[in-house]
Amino acid sequence: MQQIIPAITLEIAVLVLGLLMLFAEAFSTRADRSHMARYAIAVLLALVGFSFFTTPPPANPAAGSMWNFYAVDATAMLFKRIALATTAIVLVMALEYRSVLAKFIPGTEEGRGTGEFYCLPVFICAGLMFMASAVDFILIFVALELVTIGFYVLVAYMRKHEQSLEAGVKYLILGALSTGFLVYGVTWIFGLSGHTHLDKVKAALVAGFAAGGPLVGNEHALLFGIMLVLVALGFKIAAAPFQLWVPDVYQGAPTPVTAFLSVGSKAAGFIVLVRVLEVFLAIPAVRGKVVAALVLLAILTLLYGNLTAMPQDNLKRLFAYSSIAHAGYLLIACAALSADPAGAKEAISFYLAGYLVMTLLSFLVLITVARQSRGDDIRHFAGLGKRNPFLAFAMTVAIASLAGIPLTAGFLGKFLVFKSAVAAGQYALIGVGILGVGAGFYYYFKVIAAMYWDEPTDRTPITVGPLTRLFVGGLVALVFVLGIWPAPILNQLSERPITAVAHK
Amino acid sequence: MNPILFYLFSILMLGFGIAVVANRNPVASAMSLVVSFFCLAALYVGLDAYFLASIQVVVYAGAVMVLFLFIIMLLDLKAEQRRKFNKLAIGGGALVALAFAAQLVGVLGSHPRGDKPFPELKLPVGESLNDLQHVGETLFSLHTLPFQVIGVLILVATIGVIVISKRELK
Repeated sequence: MQQIIPAITLEIAVLVLGLLMLFAEAFSTRADRSHMARYAIAVLLALVGFSFFTTPPPANPAAGSMWNFYAVDATAMLFKRIALATTAIVLVMALEYRSVLAKFIPGTEEGRGTGEFYCLPVFICAGLMFMASAVDFILIFVALELVTIGFYVLVAYMRKHEQSLEAGVKYLILGALSTGFLVYGVTWIFGLSGHTHLDKVKAALVAGFAAGGPLVGNEHALLFGIMLVLVALGFKIAAAPFQLWVPDVYQGAPTPVTAFLSVGSKAAGFIVLVRVLEVFLAIPAVRGKVVAALVLLAILTLLYGNLTAMPQDNLKRLFAYSSIAHAGYLLIACAALSADPAGAKEAISFYLAGYLVMTLLSFLVLITVARQSRGDDIRHFAGLGKRNPFLAFAMTVAIASLAGIPLTAGFLGKFLVFKSAVAAGQYALIGVGILGVGAGFYYYFKVIAAMYWDEPTDRTPITVGPLTRLFVGGLVALVFVLGIWPAPILNQLSERPITAVAHK
Repeated sequence: MNPILFYLFSILMLGFGIAVVANRNPVASAMSLVVSFFCLAALYVGLDAYFLASIQVVVYAGAVMVLFLFIIMLLDLKAEQRRKFNKLAIGGGALVALAFAAQLVGVLGSHPRGDKPFPELKLPVGESLNDLQHVGETLFSLHTLPFQVIGVLILVATIGVIVISKRELK
């Protein structure tokens, strides 16, 4: 098929959508803003379709052209689609959540003051899409800040809710600190290499650290820069020991924002991590130490996330700790990047795609149930199997996938991660990972047991709107499709044809 | 730049930076920040970055600090002066900061490149150093894309401020 639209049109379209929504918010005469979100969902999903007809930028851009900052490869396109789809689903959640939101923001009428809540995710989406394509430290930093500043606002959106404000302040302070680390680390790397473009940094450092190169003897300086960057990205992906903000922020933020944070922020952090690791791991002088740091991070994250998730009673908090655990599995694949680059990259992308589907599904059900049960503790889900079998089934699928039951996306993601770890010979990581999976079965199945075996405290059936029902159904189907027939998404990730990866 | 001037301004900048955090009175903190910004501007001058230095004074020491002071006056922050500090948190924070400083000293000590002075900038004959022009050219030609994304970033920050601070709608 002839491809005629340059890829950056997608970002521009998303930005224009955001601006139009701002205008609608300012000038619309209707008090209820929910129509804005419905239009935005339609446009975002249409853009996912359009993304298949885009052309990559010129192969050899002129010096000084903006393409030096912006690359379009298979991974970038996949992440752009992930960002668009995630934002659309987050807006569906926001619609479902708007009655709760209205209670905690200043406003007298239903729907007043919610316009920005639909508008900010769209701008964050544009930031995520820029980040997916960023190959220069400057654009990486700017796009990361766009995303993070949007999240600061969204986390603190429920102004009359003390927990939401507290979460916002915590996130702001720790986020600003981590940004400082990132910039300081990039400064060290720039000081050594003289470039900010990742390819040029890589070339300069590889040549500089080769035997007899001008940089020999400066390994400590480079390692210092790399560690600062890793610390900053550790904050973004919620890896231990930089995870302190996660439980409070996840619990305090409005639930759609929690879902967006756990998917969008994590996906963005990992794509940047993979891009910078490709540079760092290309330098033999520091490769061993970077891998050792990643292994350490992965082990700490897996142990912390899985063990602290076990005693949780609040579902949002449980998902917060489990999201730390999932960062740990992804870090296993990152640690395998140098030994098995193709396999590990594929594992990271596929795991993130699957994680997106199952996390969004679980949060969509969580919002619907929590609104009608007035609470998001596990006990509020007791007897969901009797109150609404459809939602209970959807939640079971999401949780089974998060735990990693065969035939689901989550299982295949973990399988690919462990496969790349075997290829890299990281057997200690596999051991800790399997321990984590075992712990995961315990805390995830606690929720399933509550839904089917506990007696409900409140027997009123739970109703689901048509839009939410459609998306819940679609996501359930997607969990199984990705788990049974992953070829389409894996084919997208690599130029080489992949057939039956799971059955080797 | 004369090393004596460099160390003088660096020490002043860091000292007043510590004063920003240590002062109990928010107005005193803000004024320390102004001095710190001025010392940073002096360091920029020492690096021949005159445009950056003037921007530092006009934007940071001028506009941003006036806003800070306005907000401090409007909010009338008394609680900060009465606040008790958590000794454990301060101890832990100091420990992390010290560990970081020790690392930094270690890295700088083992950093052979740090011993050499910067090479002299070679300008084409007949051209003087015009950093305003260079900053403009870099910003608006080479770095257009990040520059435009910053525009979006500032828009989002503005929306955020309005959302978080707007009054009860009537």
